[in-house]
Amino acid sequence: MIQIQKVSKVYQTKDRLVKGVDNVSLEIEKGEIFGIVGYSGAGKSSLLRCLNLLEKPTEGTILIDGINLTELKGKQLRQARLKIGMIFQHFYLISQKTVYENIAFALRAAKTPKQQIDDRVTELLEMVGLSEKRDVYPGQLSGGQKQRVAIARALANNPSVLLCDEATSALDPKTTLSILRLLKKINRELAITIVLITHEMHVVKEICDRMAIMQDGKVIEEGQVYDIFSNPVAELTKEFISSVVSFEVPDTILAQCTGTIVKLLFKGNVAGESVISETIQQFDVHGNFLHGSIEYIQEMPLGTFLMELQGREPDIERAISYMSTRHVHVEVINNGN
Amino acid sequence: MGIEVQRIAELLPDMTKAFGETLYMVGISLLVALIIGLPLGILLFVTDKGLFLENTVIKSVIGFIVNMVRSIPFIILLVLLIPLATLLVGTAYGPTAASVSLSAAAIPFFARIVETSFREIDKGVIEAAISIGASPWMIIRDVLLPEGKSSIIQGLTLTAISLVAYAAMAGVVGGGGIGDLAIRFGYYRYDKTIMVVTVIILIVLVQLIQFAGDRISKAVDKR
Repeated sequence: MIQIQKVSKVYQTKDRLVKGVDNVSLEIEKGEIFGIVGYSGAGKSSLLRCLNLLEKPTEGTILIDGINLTELKGKQLRQARLKIGMIFQHFYLISQKTVYENIAFALRAAKTPKQQIDDRVTELLEMVGLSEKRDVYPGQLSGGQKQRVAIARALANNPSVLLCDEATSALDPKTTLSILRLLKKINRELAITIVLITHEMHVVKEICDRMAIMQDGKVIEEGQVYDIFSNPVAELTKEFISSVVSFEVPDTILAQCTGTIVKLLFKGNVAGESVISETIQQFDVHGNFLHGSIEYIQEMPLGTFLMELQGREPDIERAISYMSTRHVHVEVINNGN
Repeated sequence: MGIEVQRIAELLPDMTKAFGETLYMVGISLLVALIIGLPLGILLFVTDKGLFLENTVIKSVIGFIVNMVRSIPFIILLVLLIPLATLLVGTAYGPTAASVSLSAAAIPFFARIVETSFREIDKGVIEAAISIGASPWMIIRDVLLPEGKSSIIQGLTLTAISLVAYAAMAGVVGGGGIGDLAIRFGYYRYDKTIMVVTVIILIVLVQLIQFAGDRISKAVDKR
């Protein structure tokens, strides 16, 4: 478990002090994938770098599996870091060393006996699917392959935590997806806690269990990814979610609508479509879909539909209250012209 | 008076000897620069602010000494270090004595070049090594030196070429060498033949060093 307790990081710039991280407290459970989202400059990268003390917090403590990292120095800190892997946006492999040597470097840092290094590197390369690239230099690899090597290197000493600093931001969408799948596999099979920071909401949607949203060095919202997607509170959170689940309907279409426009939200196993058809059959209203989608977050469906309801006002009201009783969240956007 | 072939033949033994002396002086001081200047360059880099062995005292002391030696004109350094040469190599005269001063000039020069070479390395690669839990020694040996290797070889080439030029002044303490031959015969005695020939030898030598340096630097780079 990672406990971040009242952590602040203050930077001294030329003329003033900047609070990169401002009194952040978070608890990240063992074995979960935790995503920290925010725009650049929000402090998410500083916070992540505080977790393995690449940056020393100005205030507060970091506990990983009960060990207070902020108290450690020198050799003890290096020992602790062996158990905290980290991968980066730009991979940061040693360009003058082969794939094998890059991974072996991490094992040598842990003073692994020579004969074991060979076996372990072979095992790691197999896990990331790069066995045939063993003796190649990083310059000859694609971005995705470099990140796989970096992942193998980060996992070499069987860490309990893996920190991902915008690990997919320099990759194309297809490669991003394959790296995210690999991270998920690592998380499930090796029970490694993953903390990742990103500005891309689809990354969080794809693999995270819980998430936090950061703005101006503070955590402004935190919770299960599904809950945040289905019920965002902060303005910034809504903005981020709209980047994945967009409900833009052209103004010209909206102008033509004469009925009541409602937004319907189905969470989890509520069979959304059947509720709508039942409603239309039971009440004297007509429905007209303007927009709709079902997103799967952590394998649970989240349906959002934008509908125009036409009919007499009392009928529409009754239809809406009926849907509400069937666990559909109804939001009236526009009461008709 | 033109360039006389006979005169060249006459001076051939002198020139061969001088060429050998130049190679000897440049070789020794280059070796010493590598042995002492490289660790100094590493120290200058790793003790810098924000780096893994940050140490303001060591950084500023070494920095000050390096700057001080580099600010002394070589001809003066040559004379100043006569006592040191006597102490170290038992003589104040000859190519070996001159090598002491040449080494003294080459060490800080090369140390700064090494420091600059390391600055070109992406800080992220060093940070990644720190995040892995590597010791400072491992970071120096497995990150800084391999990543800076190509650039350091370029720097060593630059140092060698500067040393060829400095070695021309070694005549002051009887060091000999091609440059000295050019000054004594070509300049003081207005011997055009020897002047032209020695300058050509120096040009070829410098071109060769640069060529070899570029080739090696490229050959070791795996990027």
